[in-house]
Amino acid sequence: MTREKLQSLSLVLIGVIAFGLPLLVRSPTYLHILVLLFLYAYLTTSWNLVGGFAGVLPLGHSTFVGIGAYTSTVLALQYGVSPWIGMIIGGGLAVIVGVLIGLPTFKMRGAYFALATIAFAEGIRVMVENIEYLGPFKLNGPRGLQIPPLNTGLANFMFAEKEPYYYIILVMLIAVLALTYFISRSKLGYYLSAGGEEPEAAMALGVNVARCKLIAMAMSSFLTALAGTFWAQFTLFIHPKSVMSLDISFEIAFIALIGGRGSIAGPVLGAIILRPVSDLCRIYFGDKLPGLHLIIFGVLLIVVMIFQPRGLQEPLTKLYNRFLDRFAAQPDRIR
Amino acid sequence: MTILDLKRLVKDFGGLRAVDGLNLSVQEGKILGLIGPNGAGKSTVFNCIAGVYPPTEGEIYFDGTKINNVKPWNLCKQGLARTFQIVKPFSSKTVLYNVMVGSYVTTDKRSVAEDRALAVLETLSLLDKKDIKAGNLTIADRKRLEIARALATEPKLLLLDEVMAGLRPTEVDEMVKIIMGLRDSGMTIFIIEHIMRAIMALSDWIVVIHFGRKISEGTPKDVASDEKVIKAYLGEEYGVS
Repeated sequence: MTREKLQSLSLVLIGVIAFGLPLLVRSPTYLHILVLLFLYAYLTTSWNLVGGFAGVLPLGHSTFVGIGAYTSTVLALQYGVSPWIGMIIGGGLAVIVGVLIGLPTFKMRGAYFALATIAFAEGIRVMVENIEYLGPFKLNGPRGLQIPPLNTGLANFMFAEKEPYYYIILVMLIAVLALTYFISRSKLGYYLSAGGEEPEAAMALGVNVARCKLIAMAMSSFLTALAGTFWAQFTLFIHPKSVMSLDISFEIAFIALIGGRGSIAGPVLGAIILRPVSDLCRIYFGDKLPGLHLIIFGVLLIVVMIFQPRGLQEPLTKLYNRFLDRFAAQPDRIR
Repeated sequence: MTILDLKRLVKDFGGLRAVDGLNLSVQEGKILGLIGPNGAGKSTVFNCIAGVYPPTEGEIYFDGTKINNVKPWNLCKQGLARTFQIVKPFSSKTVLYNVMVGSYVTTDKRSVAEDRALAVLETLSLLDKKDIKAGNLTIADRKRLEIARALATEPKLLLLDEVMAGLRPTEVDEMVKIIMGLRDSGMTIFIIEHIMRAIMALSDWIVVIHFGRKISEGTPKDVASDEKVIKAYLGEEYGVS
């Protein structure tokens, strides 16, 4: 077996395991944890287009989750629009907001950029918390919106069981991973990494760094908003604290940094490591030590940054490559 | 034919006049050398040409069009490439990746960009290092990579900013050979260099600036014996016997 074949075989195997997991995991609790795991892997992969490849640290992606969740929910509740259509409209709206936030903020670097994105995200959350009606649209302020679980089924993006949600988010995750892989090998991917690492040199080589970052931001906002709609349909109840809170943005950043920014596997690995920590802490220590998971994240981040500054994907990728080298049949080398 | 023309170029930084009414032109297919003592304004001239700073006064013409306020990335697309005095490789990426960023400028296709990058690496004898991370290269190879990236954009005019600084004498000789080879292939080159031996051997024409003003120009031989140039480099007290 050649190396390439072994590699695709191992990826297919991972895919089969992912698709077959609900047959083994029957408990709704654990399925719920898995759905959130994939949701965060999806969110972080979307974030990674800007935060990883373009080399900046946006900490306001919760805004786009919120925009996606509110847009589809308001359209469904007031006008009976299918959440699938609302999902796309929410994505479009997030692109507009993302570009408007990106235009002024991409001129800043490092901590200034991160702080500016936090400011925008918090500003929008506080506004939504204080708005009952935005024009004809009922946002219902801090009380949020509830989606009555009346018409379940694929067309309404609403299910009584957890399994359909599991498969939907899994497909979304695979799609966004494929997109990331494609972009990382394209001109845009090269330009984003170049502009993120040495903007002056990139500009001298014909890269319009600011425009590339805006394109990445637009894509990232769109994809993040889709996850917002998924979240709304999964929980059937949204309020500003649940879908626009900074906690979401921070958790995405933690997952990305610990898993490995700017890599394809990093966000997935990060989510696999951090999400169970977060959920199990809430289950077992939620009453005595709320917030314990954040302390564990902090400690993990410090340890990872000291020993593997490029994230856990680096040693794991090396291990994976060694495994491929070991078990792939060596083609005859003639010197 | 003139490919680059500077007309009374002035650049102020606050109260400091870094470049003061500089006239200069680069002829197609030739190597023009720009020399001057430290702080003479050489790199500022390059940065004005390459679109990093807009000039305070004066005009810059490249290939017949005025480029005073054209952005660096658009200049690159028009055929003007540069290297940086302090090398700026994309350190976490491989040599091939670095060069492909340059070769993507005229194409959207990965295979085309990759083929051209490989061809450029071959001419600069960097092909065997194509999979090494740029951050792990020696300084000589990093300087070479700077040139490779610039060449991959298929420029009409190449601006080289001290590509030999910090190199060992044998490495300087290799670099001189590379630049000679580029000239022989028809490339127009505008070069800043401190290593006199190299610039004298390479340049068809040399311009000397001091405090942002042109104090001399001519063939390498004429410039080397110009009293004003010697004084600028060695100080007023230095007597020329």
